[in-house]
Amino acid sequence: MRELVRMVVVLAAICACSGLVLSFTSQATQVQRENQLLKFVKGPSIQAVFSDCDYDNDPIQDRMALSVGTDKDGNPLEKIIFLAKKGGQVVAVAYASSGSGYGGEIEVMVGLSMDGELTGISVMTHSETPGLGARITETVFTEQFRGLPLEEGVQLSSDGGAIDGVSGASFSSKGVISAINAAMELFSKVKEEVS
Amino acid sequence: MGAWNEFTKGLWKEIPPFRLVLGLCPTLAVTTAAKNGLGMGLATTFVLVCSNVLISLLRNVIPRKVRIAAFIVVIASFVVIVELTMQAYFYPLYKILGLFIPLIVVNCIILGRAEAFASKNRLLPSIADGLGMGLGFTLSLTFLGAVREIIGNGTLFGNPILWDSFEPFSIMVKAPGAFLCLGVILGLMNWVSMRQQKKS
Repeated sequence: MRELVRMVVVLAAICACSGLVLSFTSQATQVQRENQLLKFVKGPSIQAVFSDCDYDNDPIQDRMALSVGTDKDGNPLEKIIFLAKKGGQVVAVAYASSGSGYGGEIEVMVGLSMDGELTGISVMTHSETPGLGARITETVFTEQFRGLPLEEGVQLSSDGGAIDGVSGASFSSKGVISAINAAMELFSKVKEEVS
Repeated sequence: MGAWNEFTKGLWKEIPPFRLVLGLCPTLAVTTAAKNGLGMGLATTFVLVCSNVLISLLRNVIPRKVRIAAFIVVIASFVVIVELTMQAYFYPLYKILGLFIPLIVVNCIILGRAEAFASKNRLLPSIADGLGMGLGFTLSLTFLGAVREIIGNGTLFGNPILWDSFEPFSIMVKAPGAFLCLGVILGLMNWVSMRQQKKS
């Protein structure tokens, strides 16, 4: 009996210490990890969605936080808006948006110009099936969104829209579509804030 | 001199991937370039030394029956620390090594050293053992990575070192190249030790 208690106590103590140390490490590195994500994941995506735009600033430097309501626990939610400027005037914005695909959340960077067009999209993180759903990152799929007008929203051709989904991966394609539509819904609010 | 012997045995006599033939999964998978091998080796060394230290200190506290569970918790915690640190400071390397960083948890070398050495020895020899084994592992992975990178890509640590018209044998940076390379190195090492034995 004493041995049993000892086993439980020792294991529980080790696990508790481990949890403590890990939560501390996670907090201590959080800011730096976000910076690296900005530099190595969001950076290239932002450049990709702005590739057709004429701008002369660094959108990663010129970013602003916009509060977009609250989550289901009542905590305030913020969205980071990346601004592309030409001569100090905002020409386009980009922000991340997500939708659920087949294997989990798909996070998409969506670029929108002030004249009301999609400037481009870039899939940042996803956990779709390699070879099938993962092909949503290919340019054949993502280039279709470039230059579309913002008013109507986007839809797959199977639903009567203009976008050809990735074959064999309708859930993944719909995930991207819903992420983009969510971003478009937010656009009028963002436009008000930046201009 | 005890600690020194524990340190040097990991560098040749019991060098992990080639002599103990342990930890082959990362050895084969990430050594497509010297830099990746070095990064993986250093990450493993850190986990190995830290877990050896903690397990050696706790060796009289941990009950025998739950020792493996306790070792795994200790090792896994250090692996997550490495993972978070790499994410924060070496993001490109973290992207390349990807899945193989969390897989350090199940690397046989680390659990093996905890079970076979650190849980039975005092602190100093355990540190020496961890450092030696880790360094041996790092050297092996870097060497394997360098060979594969030079033949398969014509570069070393990303710098071109061969003549311009060199046509890279790209099979060497793919999976079969890892087996070819490992086999040749194992064979060479056996040959060298056999010659040494004959001489003495």
